[in-house]
Parts: sequence; structure tokens; C-alpha cells
Amino acid sequence: MFQLVKARMGQLVLVLFLLSLMTFILMKMAPGDPVLIILGSDEMTVTQADEAALREELGFHLPILVQYAQWMTNLLQLDLGTSYIKGKPVLDELMDRLPTTIELTVGGLIVMILISLPLGFLAAKYPGRWPDHVSRFLALIGASIPSFWLGLLLIYLFAFKLQWLPTMGKGSIYHMILPSLTLGFAMAAVYARLLRAGLLDSLSQEYIRAARARGIAEWRVMLKHAFRAALIPVVTVFGISIGSLLAGTVVIETLFSLPGLGSMGVQAIFQRDYPIIQGYVLLIGVFVVFVNLLVDLSYGWLDPRIRQGKGDAS
Amino acid sequence: MSIIGKYRTRMTAVCGPLMLSAVLLLTGCGAQKQEAAGKAEPVAIQAEEKKEEMKKITVIRNFKAGSLDPHNSWETLRAGVVETLVRIDENLVLKPWLATSWENRDELTWVFTIRDGVTFQDGAKLDAAAVKASFERGMAASENLAKALKIASMEANGQELTIITTQPHAALPSELVNPYASVISVEAEKKMGTEAFNNAPVGTGPFTVKSFTPDIEIQLERYDKYWDGKAKINEVTFKFNEDPNVRALALQSKEADIVYSIPSETIDAIKQDTELAVESVPGLRVHFLLYNEQKPLLQDVKVRKAFDLLLNRDSIAHDIMLGNGTPANGPFNMKLPFANQEPVTAFNPTEAKKLLLEAGFTEGPDGKLMKDGKPLSMEIITYKARPELPLIAQLLQSDAAKIGVAIKIKTVENADTYSREKKDWDILTYSNLAAPRGDAGYFLNSALMPEGSLNAAGIEINELSQIVMELNATSDLDRRVKLAREAVKIINQEIPHSYAVFPNLIVGVNKRVVDWKPGAEEYYMVTNKMDVK
Repeated sequence: MFQLVKARMGQLVLVLFLLSLMTFILMKMAPGDPVLIILGSDEMTVTQADEAALREELGFHLPILVQYAQWMTNLLQLDLGTSYIKGKPVLDELMDRLPTTIELTVGGLIVMILISLPLGFLAAKYPGRWPDHVSRFLALIGASIPSFWLGLLLIYLFAFKLQWLPTMGKGSIYHMILPSLTLGFAMAAVYARLLRAGLLDSLSQEYIRAARARGIAEWRVMLKHAFRAALIPVVTVFGISIGSLLAGTVVIETLFSLPGLGSMGVQAIFQRDYPIIQGYVLLIGVFVVFVNLLVDLSYGWLDPRIRQGKGDAS
Repeated sequence: MSIIGKYRTRMTAVCGPLMLSAVLLLTGCGAQKQEAAGKAEPVAIQAEEKKEEMKKITVIRNFKAGSLDPHNSWETLRAGVVETLVRIDENLVLKPWLATSWENRDELTWVFTIRDGVTFQDGAKLDAAAVKASFERGMAASENLAKALKIASMEANGQELTIITTQPHAALPSELVNPYASVISVEAEKKMGTEAFNNAPVGTGPFTVKSFTPDIEIQLERYDKYWDGKAKINEVTFKFNEDPNVRALALQSKEADIVYSIPSETIDAIKQDTELAVESVPGLRVHFLLYNEQKPLLQDVKVRKAFDLLLNRDSIAHDIMLGNGTPANGPFNMKLPFANQEPVTAFNPTEAKKLLLEAGFTEGPDGKLMKDGKPLSMEIITYKARPELPLIAQLLQSDAAKIGVAIKIKTVENADTYSREKKDWDILTYSNLAAPRGDAGYFLNSALMPEGSLNAAGIEINELSQIVMELNATSDLDRRVKLAREAVKIINQEIPHSYAVFPNLIVGVNKRVVDWKPGAEEYYMVTNKMDVK
């Protein structure tokens, strides 16, 4: 396990380097820069000479790789730079936004687990019968409704019609219910189907028959023997989708006025706020690598047959 | 399967749906608690109202604010926390605010008399020294403000502030309307530390910041010693939400009293609620066509005039903007003293075709206009950030086709960048704030002077440039109005732009709010006068 962690740390450095280089080059190649926004040209009289002077001051006239090297030198001194638009250090900006994103992600995960576990179990337990149909129907709805629409429907029902929950903002657990439901419902659809498939697969295995033959209680067979193995595809997909989960909550953040990382990233891209974009990509990159490390470590626990670097896994 | 096994199976079958129901009910349970809390709240408010007449208002803005630093955010002024020396009134005319009067002693010297009897929210007295310290802080915090004010030095003497500018700066009083020029207590900042100050700045306005959650909301409470009479409302919640439908739902659910930028398609539903009203006022922005005069064809004023006549302004205001726009007769909102006095150019395709024929085009056998054997075809650039603009391009395309002019529409992400970097476009649908501080100088300098940052088409009209230069050196307000009018006249003759429509500011208001109207300037949103029934 130690070997795996060590290898992954090496990979992390490489991944982050390539990620930051690619992002840097792509964003510099994209047309536009933040100069007009920094100068506030939509309300202040700005001349083209002012623009040129600021471009030079910010070093935008230098070759891309030189600009990248400057950014990298600062990064090695643990300095992510300062937002062009807001004037705040990038690290502060990221740390301000991170808690909301984590709250939203955790809320979404709780809803996802609460919906997908029972649905997955029921569907696997009664394949082809009504619980399976209900699960499939819900999965279809969850996968088909875009989150901005589901969010609006939930606000319409719970905030406008029933007036049970607030429409927007932060501050109490009630504020997090609708955003978590919106995020969790769409995820639950996919995971319930994955869990069903995983459970059906593991329930057909020899060791389950053996366990049942030994007279082990059915719930124990399901939970201890089948469930653990069925979690492997679930966990794998989760590892792959964590990046989009952390970054892709932008619609939900906008609907519910939750200032998270997603909306910050999108805004930074529109405004060409390069330091924020770089910091954001790095942070998400670190998360993705760490979560995937945890996923890999969990395989060994979920299925003892899987061992890192120990040859034949069968 | 053993008996116990069967029993377990049944348990699973029974418990499974139960668990599912539990999940579905989970939000319901939480919600019921909230419902109880929600119902309890009005009761609690009523009880308090009896005791202290607690009055609250909730405002929702369509853009968010991550900081309340008054020199880098407009929301602090909008929320009634800080004020400026000069303001504009409901007729968009400059009026004294924290300064009672000002005079231009010579080309470079301005003297402002600071209002007596004003205190900052920390109790400190407002005098010229405090204003000087605030401007110094502002110019250090915002390069934009430093550039706009052009201050070389300042001298404070009691209530008299003398400003020496780096160059003749006739528009200084109008620049001081800028929210970035808000007056804050620098002494309070020293005591609190910059970070704490930027979360709860101390100004002279009718409200103080009770708490601020960046990008979510500002909780405001009344400042009882406000110089212009304490506010009628005790507390204001100033929220931010960027989703138009959610904002509309918040108004409809009565969670908010004043909601900015309501989507036009929800207006009918809102109007059906007898407790709600929708205010639609022409703003200071203008949507227009910008002609690329670097293209030889568009250098002919007759061609530009033809497209001006092809622009169906009534249809844009009524069909595209569903009545929430006002046809434009020039760059400046008709309320402004220097706005164009002439009527809006009427849609006239016949006259447009005539002009094009005069410009040397001939009608081909298929009805298409040709010159030198080539059909007349234009490329129009548009962008989606303002959803009306692509529709304006489509309307023009269809009207132009009727007189044999082909228009290709190209949608780009960033029109500013595209129009500067590429030279191949002919017409751009554009939108600018034309008089953000109730003065013509900004738009004329930025969009119509050769060195201006919004002049992607390289417009250079000598006669106009001379007037703008004279305007930049004239401080007398009446003379400025006259010069701006002359400038507008030349613009309407030369047609470097075709002004289409002034988009309205659409604000949803709960009728319990009284003595409050949205202003075209979008500056003074929380006031001491606003009240609730």
C-alpha cells in the first residue's frame, strides 16, 4: 500500500504539471484577455493606449512559455498569484469557495446514497419485477431531467407552492436540502443502476451459492458478501466522476446562490482571469488524483483478490 | 432456504419500500420543521412589530458581489451603506449629495464644499480631511478610479476640499458620481483592519452592514443618526442570485420584496398576483449596430443610412423585447438633458433600397442588389450574452432580404475581442452603457473617438472629435449639454452606429413597498425613504 501511495505521489506531480501546462497554453491561445474588464471599460473612459500599457504591465506580450515559467516559479514558492479581477490571492479565493462546494458535494452524496442504495438493492433482489421497474423508471427520469430544470421544479414546489424551504442562500441545513436533492437525484439514477448490475453479477457467483448453502442469513449474504463486491464498479465510476462532480455543480450553484468552485471557475473562464483558472484546475486535479488513490486503495478492501503489483489477480 | 431466511426475505420486501418511503419523506420531515419555523417567523415578526414596529425589506440583485470594498464594488453604495459627493437624481441630472456645492476656480482647480452635520456610522464627523483620506484610499485601491479622477493633489480645510487635477478635467463632478468614489471612514478602516472593513465598511449612508456573506447576501440595519433623517425601514436583506427564474419565484413566493431583472416571460404571471407589480423603466444602456468603416462599402454614408432605415426599432422594442424596451433615437436615454430631440427613425425599406441604388447598386434579375457583378452581402457579428442581440440580427437579416440584401449572421463568444482582432466583419450588434454617470463624456470618448477602447471599427469623424475635445475641456454644465447635443446631431448625420433600443430595467416589486421606484441609473437601491405598508 505504501508503494502505491508513493507511486501515486510521483504521478500526482506529473499529472499536475501536464495539466497546468495544457491549461495555460489553451487559455492563452483562446481569444481575449482580462484587460478590458480590469480597466472597467464598460463604465470608465479607457483608451487603447491604456489597454496596451496594462497588457505590457501584466506581461501578456511575452511568449507563452516564458509566462508559464514565471507562473511556475511562483507556484514553486507556493504562490498561486492574485486574481486580476478581484485582486484577492487565488489561494484565499479557492479556500473561500471550497467549503460550499464540499457541503454541496457531501449533501448530494448523502441524497444519492439514500436513494440509490435502497433502489439498487430492491432492483437486484427482484429483477424484472415492480421494484426493478420503479428503479429503472426513476433512473430514466434522473438521467433525463437536466439539473437546472429539476432545481427549478423543486424550488417551484417546495419554496413557491408549499413555502416549506427557502429558495436560495446559505446559513441553515434547510438551505442545503433543495441543492442536495437536485445534485443527488441525478447521480442516484446512475448509481442505483450500477449497484443493481453489480449485485446481480455478484449474486450469480459461486461464493454466494456457497454462502447460501452454508445457511448464512440472506441479509448477511446480500450485505456482507454480495454488496462489497458489487461496490467495485460503483466506486470506480465515482472515482472517474469526482472531477465533474466537484466542478460541474455550476448550474446548481447559480440556481441556489451558492458560491462554490464551479461558478467561480466558469466566471474566471469568461473573464479570462488566468491565475484563478490555473489555481482552480490545479485544485480539482489534486482532488481527482487523491480520490482515485482512495478508490484504488478501497479495491483491496472491497475485494481481497485485487492486489497492487502482486501479479495474477484471479 | 431456512424459515429464518424466508422471514428475512419478507423483511427485506417489507422494509425495502419502507426505506424508500422514508427517503422520499425525509425532505418532507425536514420541510415540515421548516414550515413550522416559517410559520412561526411571521408571528414573531408581528409580535416585534407591536413592540418596536420592526420593518424589513428583502431585495434581490441579479449580479453577485464577493466584496464590499466600496472602492472596488458598487453594491456597497447600492445597499445604502456609503454615499458620494455628487449624485444624479431621478431625471439623471447632477445633484449635490455629500458636497453641497462645487466650483471650478481655474482650469485645474476645483473646490468642493462638504456638507456640514454629517457623521460616519462610527460617529466620526465628515469633513474635507476625511473625504481627502477616502479619495486617497480609493485611488490606491482602484486604478480605474485614479484614472477617472485625474487628481494631482488635494487640500483639506475644514469643510472645504480643494482638488488640483493633472489636466483640465471638466467632467470631474460627474466622475464623482461613480460608486467607486464613495466616501468611507479611513479611520474606521485603520481600527478594524482592511479585511474586516471590506466586509463591513463604514460610510455615511442610512444603513450599516450587520453581516455579509460574500456572493450570497448583505444584512443591513438602520443607522439611526443618518444626516438626511433616519430610514423608515429597520432592516434590509440584500441578496444576490444570478438565475432569472429563481429570482422571479422568490418574488412570487413573497420571499423577496424587490427583485431586479425579472425575465420578460414571467411578467404576465407576476402581474396576475394582485400583491405584486412590475416596474419597467428605460435604462442608460443602448443596444445598437456598429458599422465597420474599415470596409470600403461601409465608408459610404448612404449604405450606412440604408441599414439604419432597415432597422425596425418598433418591432425590436415590442416583439423582441416584449414591450420592455424603448425605441432609440440616439445613444442617450431620452430623459437625459443632452439626448437627441428628434423622432426615432422610422422603418422604411423602400427608402433604404432607394439609397442603395443611389450608392451604385443595381437590381439583378432575381431581385438581389448587385455591384460590379457581385451581390450585396454583409456579415453581421452577434453574441449571446445579451439574448436580444442575436434576435435583432435575425430581424435585420429578414428585413434586408426583402429588398435583395443578403446578411450572414455569425455568433461569437466575445464580441469585444472578435471585433478588434478580425477585420472581416461588416456590422456588429453591440450594447453599451451610454451615460453611466449622467454625462455624455464617457460614451463619446470611448466609442466614437479614434483612441477609445470601445471603438473597434476605427471610427474617426473630425467634426465630432473636435466637439468631444471641447466637451472634455468644458466644465460649465449648460455648455456641456449643448456640446453633447451637437455631438449627437453629428452622430445621427454620419451614422457610425445605428441605435436600436434602450432596454428597460425590469424590476418586480411587492406592493407592500411604498415610496420607492427603480432608477434608470441603478445606483441608489436602498434608501432612507423606502417604506412598507
